[in-house]
Amino acid sequence: MGLLPWLLLAIFRTKITFNYLLTLIQSIMVVELIRLELLKSIRSTSFAKSALVAVFLAFLALLLLSYLVFFGIFLKAIIEKGFESTDAYATLSGVMVYFFLFEFMYRYFVQKLPVIELERFLHLPIKKSNIMHFLLGRSFVSPLTLIAPLLFTPFAIQEIAPRFGSGAAWSWLFCIFFTSWSLHWLMLWFKQKFEDSLIGIGVVFALLLIGAGSTYYGWYNLGSLVKPIFDWSLASPLPVVVMGLIFLVTYWLAYTYYYSNAYLEDLTEEENVRFINQDLGIFSRFGLAGELANLEWKLIIRHKKSRTYLMLAGFFLLYGLIFYTNPVYKSETGFSHMFVFVGSFITGIFMLQYGQLFLSWNSANFDFFLQKRTGIEALVKGKYLLFVVTSCLCLLASVPYAYFGWDILLIHLVTFLFNMGVIMHLVIYLSLWKPKPMDINKGAMFNYEGVGIAQFLMIIPMIGAPYIIYLPFALLVNQYAGLLALGIVGVVGILAFPYLSKISIDKVLQNRYEISSSFRQEL
Amino acid sequence: MIKVEGLKKQYKEAVVLDVESLEIPKSECFGLVGNNGAGKTTLFRIMLDLVRASAGKVTIEGNDVSKTEDWKSRVGAYLDEHMLLSYLTPDEYFETLRKIYRLSEADLKLHLENFKELFNDEILGKKKYIRDLSKGNLKKVGIAAAMMGHPEAVLLDEPFENLDPSSQNRLKKLILQSKENSKVTFLISSHDLNHVTEICDRIVLLEKGKVIKDLNEKSLMSEELNTYFGV
Repeated sequence: MGLLPWLLLAIFRTKITFNYLLTLIQSIMVVELIRLELLKSIRSTSFAKSALVAVFLAFLALLLLSYLVFFGIFLKAIIEKGFESTDAYATLSGVMVYFFLFEFMYRYFVQKLPVIELERFLHLPIKKSNIMHFLLGRSFVSPLTLIAPLLFTPFAIQEIAPRFGSGAAWSWLFCIFFTSWSLHWLMLWFKQKFEDSLIGIGVVFALLLIGAGSTYYGWYNLGSLVKPIFDWSLASPLPVVVMGLIFLVTYWLAYTYYYSNAYLEDLTEEENVRFINQDLGIFSRFGLAGELANLEWKLIIRHKKSRTYLMLAGFFLLYGLIFYTNPVYKSETGFSHMFVFVGSFITGIFMLQYGQLFLSWNSANFDFFLQKRTGIEALVKGKYLLFVVTSCLCLLASVPYAYFGWDILLIHLVTFLFNMGVIMHLVIYLSLWKPKPMDINKGAMFNYEGVGIAQFLMIIPMIGAPYIIYLPFALLVNQYAGLLALGIVGVVGILAFPYLSKISIDKVLQNRYEISSSFRQEL
Repeated sequence: MIKVEGLKKQYKEAVVLDVESLEIPKSECFGLVGNNGAGKTTLFRIMLDLVRASAGKVTIEGNDVSKTEDWKSRVGAYLDEHMLLSYLTPDEYFETLRKIYRLSEADLKLHLENFKELFNDEILGKKKYIRDLSKGNLKKVGIAAAMMGHPEAVLLDEPFENLDPSSQNRLKKLILQSKENSKVTFLISSHDLNHVTEICDRIVLLEKGKVIKDLNEKSLMSEELNTYFGV
């Protein structure tokens, strides 16, 4: 009779040990996944194999984070002095909602989605839920998570704790952290679902409008609508609990969405052929080189990274508005020397940015050009042609700046000539120093694939070269003499185009084995 | 047509290719077999001047491939995806090649007509980039591109890999046809012993970068190869 309970107990026990073993195995699995993740970032090409670049980037990241900390420490002083506020807490809580609107924006543009990693894990015998928890958790380990704590913790210590007590400070802080972190999960879901769709852009614009509507037009005061929530958090733990719950709910939202869409076809979309037959007609007059310039144009509009570069170039056309309207750069006679830099930047922005990674754009199909007769020569010339055409377009698009004075039109014309005659060759020649392969289907934001130390140092001659010619004449004679000198040097460079371009072509031909094998990732 | 003299390729200490001499006459179908890492692809890459030889040279009709470029318009090749422009659709790709090889539109049409059976209506007229094609269809595009522009020699690396059985047969027919009609020299590397022995007049066996067998006798080929590979 005593057998049955014993049997049940035995079954129960084995089940427990079995479950225990399973969790043990899975926790080992997670450690293994973390180890793989570390290896991946150390060995990845986007980490830019060069140690110098890595050090530079780490330095940059530290610098930015320390700026945040400093800003956090002086936040109270800034609010009290800068905004002449007697109640720093009330002012900050009143504008907090704008911080979150802003956070939504930068998260939308910067935050990366973890799905790209999925492909490598999906076929392994690991529970799908574990993979998802891991990938989502991994995405949380990011500088973006730190921004809110770094900014607001010092403020809570300096201002809230003395005035309202440390309990209130904690409660207020966590209320903010949970809001910021909820945005993280919300963004994972939002971006995966709506990126590259009209709804996504619509929502972002709507949020911008909500913010602008409140500040500029004063229809309503968004800040004071949301402020009571933060005030309440000083007195009661309830808001923290609610925000904590929202944090969990948004995580759950992201988790279930990713879990139910964890199929390759759902997450990595095949791109439809959207841009068929969009040749740029002008190129066809230039023979083989023109044909390859056309190809390059197709490459640009059909890849994510290059499309972003193109959009940035359009965006930077507005760069002049910052300088030309700024009273700091107004002078009684002539114009600011700074404008030469601005002009060369505006008329050559696409060339400067795209040209940095000159051959890396073609790293996936470099052998194609190598194997064709005069293929390399045509490839390089095609790129020259493309740069000339895009720079012409930039020059034309910048003509309306003449509104700020005819001088500016003159500066743009002269810097354009100088760009075409000198800078273009300089960019191309420098970029041929150890070109690296890159995957141009990835986005451009914070993607340092293909970027080597040469790309960082390149900016120095780019800024310096115009001034080497311009400044001596500008200071000794007058500014227009400086511009004349720039223009003349530019025209000479343009006339010498066949010789100068041959230098670059020969350099590619000389290094063709090294370049092609590094592009095939054999080194 | 293609001559290899004292060719050597070395990565630091490791010798990956060491071919004393090799001569491939015109309109021969030359098969290259060997285990993984035997140096087949490296040999092809050096022949196409994509990789620098450590010693020795390859000449095509007397021209050193690393010193001249004119041979490139007479030699077609498809080794891997690096040789395709994967961001174009197949139609755009062939159109681009047409311009590079300076063919007329009728020429291109005629050329693609030959591949109609092989393409099986899955390549042309589709709104799909080459990078989104399946592996087999990718290979078909590459092979058709390699045989464009009336080349005198065509180098194909593993042409039968990833193709379905009927496509493999169609490809064999195509190769034999253009060898017959236009006296094209074919250099084909393959792991598929049945296919190479069937279409090739001569098979060279590479082992660790060295030529260890040079078989000309069709009747003995498959037996010798089968004993070497132990099948």
